[in-house]
Amino acid sequence: MSVLTDLIIRARALLFRSREETELEDEVRFHIDRDVHERVRRGEVPDKARREALIAFGGVERYKERVRDARGTRPLEELAADIRYALRGLRRNPGFTATGILVLGIGIGATATVYSIVHSVIVADLPYPQSDRLVRVVEQNSATSIWALSTADVTAIRERQRVFEAWGEIQRTEVAYSGSGTPQHIVIGRASAGYFRAIGIPVARGRAIEPADEAQGAPPVMVVTDAFARRTLGGPDAALGRSLSLDGVSHTVVGVLPEGRDELGGIRAVAFPVLQLRAPTRRGPFWLRGVGRLKPDVTLAAAERDLAEISDALLPLWSDFRDSTARLTPQPLRDVVVGSAVKQVGLFAGAVALVLLLAIVNVATLVLVRASAREQELAVRVMLGAKRSRIARLIVTENLILTLSAALLGLGLATWGLDLAVAQLPDMPRIQNASLDWRVIMLGIGAAVLSGLLVSLSPVAALSDEGGLAPHAASRRTGTGQRTSAMRAAFVIAEFALAWPLLVGAGLLLNSFVRLQRVDPGFDPAGLVAVGLSLPAARYAGVADVLRFRELAGQRVAAMPGVESVGLTTQIPPDQSGGNDNFNLVHRPVPDGEAEPNSPWYYVSASYFSTLGIRIIEGRSFTPADTADEFPVIAVSRSWAEHYLPGESAVGRQLVQGGCYNCPRTTIVGVVEDIRNLGPSLPMDAVYGPMSQYGGRSMQVVARLRSMTPNVTARLRDELRALDPELPLDEFVLTEQLQASLADPMRWAAVLSAFAACAMGLAALGVFGLMAYAVRQRRREIGVRLALGAQSGVVTRLVVWRGMRYAAIGSAIGLGVTLLLANRLRTMLFDVSPTDVATFVGVGVLLLGSAFLASWIPGRRAARIRPIEAISSE
Amino acid sequence: MNRESIDLLQGTLDVLILKTLAWQPMHGYAVTRWVRERTQGSIEIEDAPLYKALHRLERAGCVSAEWGLSENNRRARYYRLTATGRRRLKAEESEWRRYAAAVLRVLEPA
Repeated sequence: MSVLTDLIIRARALLFRSREETELEDEVRFHIDRDVHERVRRGEVPDKARREALIAFGGVERYKERVRDARGTRPLEELAADIRYALRGLRRNPGFTATGILVLGIGIGATATVYSIVHSVIVADLPYPQSDRLVRVVEQNSATSIWALSTADVTAIRERQRVFEAWGEIQRTEVAYSGSGTPQHIVIGRASAGYFRAIGIPVARGRAIEPADEAQGAPPVMVVTDAFARRTLGGPDAALGRSLSLDGVSHTVVGVLPEGRDELGGIRAVAFPVLQLRAPTRRGPFWLRGVGRLKPDVTLAAAERDLAEISDALLPLWSDFRDSTARLTPQPLRDVVVGSAVKQVGLFAGAVALVLLLAIVNVATLVLVRASAREQELAVRVMLGAKRSRIARLIVTENLILTLSAALLGLGLATWGLDLAVAQLPDMPRIQNASLDWRVIMLGIGAAVLSGLLVSLSPVAALSDEGGLAPHAASRRTGTGQRTSAMRAAFVIAEFALAWPLLVGAGLLLNSFVRLQRVDPGFDPAGLVAVGLSLPAARYAGVADVLRFRELAGQRVAAMPGVESVGLTTQIPPDQSGGNDNFNLVHRPVPDGEAEPNSPWYYVSASYFSTLGIRIIEGRSFTPADTADEFPVIAVSRSWAEHYLPGESAVGRQLVQGGCYNCPRTTIVGVVEDIRNLGPSLPMDAVYGPMSQYGGRSMQVVARLRSMTPNVTARLRDELRALDPELPLDEFVLTEQLQASLADPMRWAAVLSAFAACAMGLAALGVFGLMAYAVRQRRREIGVRLALGAQSGVVTRLVVWRGMRYAAIGSAIGLGVTLLLANRLRTMLFDVSPTDVATFVGVGVLLLGSAFLASWIPGRRAARIRPIEAISSE
Repeated sequence: MNRESIDLLQGTLDVLILKTLAWQPMHGYAVTRWVRERTQGSIEIEDAPLYKALHRLERAGCVSAEWGLSENNRRARYYRLTATGRRRLKAEESEWRRYAAAVLRVLEPA
């Protein structure tokens, strides 16, 4: 064969494409005209003759395409043609298109939202230079027992450490600030000069805290956030040099943080005043957060060794702390900041991934249904000469367009969803930084392309089945029908398997939420209101001032109309942020070198017990005689007594409090009934000391009212403000507090329930679609059965039984998967086992029930088929 | 399509076309008609494969094509056997004869 002719023809094809094309058309037209001519001569009607001629020619298009192929210039335009065709196809089927885009869009949107959060909360680096070198140092004596540092600890670290290039401390606290308006509480972080150096964020204006500022008696200075400066100080420039009163102490603003920065080392605060430490007089208390920046070549392990040496050196210095197992331990700051969010976000991410998968499976099913509905059309196209590969490409194009549109919608939804999530989960660390960055957008598009391909797989697979799309009626009913049905059955099974973990997770969380809600708080919250306040040290310097304020506050509130009784406490339930203290029983001390037990510790007035309705089980309540001059006394909760003094009377026992072995011993004078101080799911150990022996300046004034009136808290507030107009006051209604303590479990249960509802709906839809399709496919067969006398009930049962079989297989798989996964929920559950039988049975009933309903409807329809119509319609 | 027509065996089409064109240059439609008449309608060449084959043969240099006027003065593309085509026909023809004879020998009762 001559290569030359071949080349010339190819070249001509390239150069004179249109001419070639016309010649081709001319040739075909000539052929058909001749045929028509011939047919008319034989006596056919011209119109019919032309039609017959065209049919006889078979694939005009196929012929042209093959010749084009032969010319070797397969043009890119085919892609454009594919897209045009796909768009036309999608427009023709608005219901399918809308459903597909919506289902996938929601799936992709949810995924993009959650992964933005995951990225921001868990994956992203901390926003500090070389943040991987930042470590937090804690005291630790077991895997779970971790606490903060004391002044003695940080003094020793400052003096002895050799691994950090910078080291500093911070304490997060709330202080009273009265700027222009009403006095309020603001969150501050008291930080040392070293803390600023360690974190490594330079101030935008002015200067950071310097070591000289830390000296006792140095004028207090502070660095404020840009936002705070703009809000209250007239802008970052005007802020410098201004003096502000924090808890009655005047602080001068020396620096302003860069715009947008509202935290340092994970401590979110509006201002960072200087931390001035006094020389330690004992090892405790432990109240500081220490952060160090490792020297460039120092590993975490090296830091651990260095700090262990310091721990050993510290132990003999102080007699009040004798736990030799306690170690100064470094933790990567990132782990500390991300903390417990990993688990919650992980749950979220897992759930959303399942929903996305379900959405993909569902759209795949939709596409498959559509492909079956289009079988005839595709068969005709094949007959007219379109190649299978070309049709496959068409299907892929169509699905990619569908899924990319869904991705667009999904990313739109994600921006909205992200705002919602940030607003709904304000306590999640670092969530504020969550944004749709390019990675998430790539993820969304990647998910779209991937799901587009996945979704195309099924019809393309059906297509490549040799003869599957042949235009014979018989093979349409058996070949492809069976093939796609098997695939769709697999999809339905997958849907049920995927729905299981979501439904069980939601069921367990709901179950646990209901149980939490039923927990008896131990007191009647109805009619209880509280006002929290903190007396500034500057104006209430002595204990006497504090005691006088308490006395007056109690009297004024008790005199209010409608108030039944008043009590004072350091903490209103439920609250986990309250004080703790360690203790050692005198008659049964812990062995030397072991950690002393630790318990929640509250200071309350004698009337607190009666105000809340806490019964005295044994011994006595506090009396006015329990003054600071007398020996310290405490009352303990029933749980505490059973925990630490099982089988003996607690009253009269003595203990060493807070490791103070030089102080007088503390005597237990009473045992009181348990209440849920920390929250419904936590232990009820509690120690109560009398307010009269406590000099602390923070307190809650709790009042029991005869009836709740709308503005009673306002009146209560006014009453206290009359005592001191500059006090910031926080009001609480205890029923609301109890509700708020359930907000988190409720939120998680709600989120997972929403996902689970989606999953169940999708699964039911899947089985419904499959069975409806099967009934349509087997119309004729069912018609014959009915004609031969089959009972309509039998036909229905047949359909339902098949649908149920898929649901059952899917459920079996889902059950197995769920049992494997359920344990991960354990820490989020209260009083419910992760393998709670009732929940699993309930989910099974729910899913199989929905499957039953979903296949019963097509089953009924099948039974109503009219045999004659069904048989004659083919 | 004619029910009684014989399905074309694989590889038969080229040799039929070459043989037909060996009589005289023809356009595609004439090739179909000629084969149909010669076989009394037993072999019906499908149109699309015919043109595909013609173009393939043209590329292989077995036939050459040019536009001419048909019997009733229409522009038509005439295919003419080239020397290469003639050689190819000879080779394929003898191949086919040997093949057919062999098949017949098997089919004939012994």
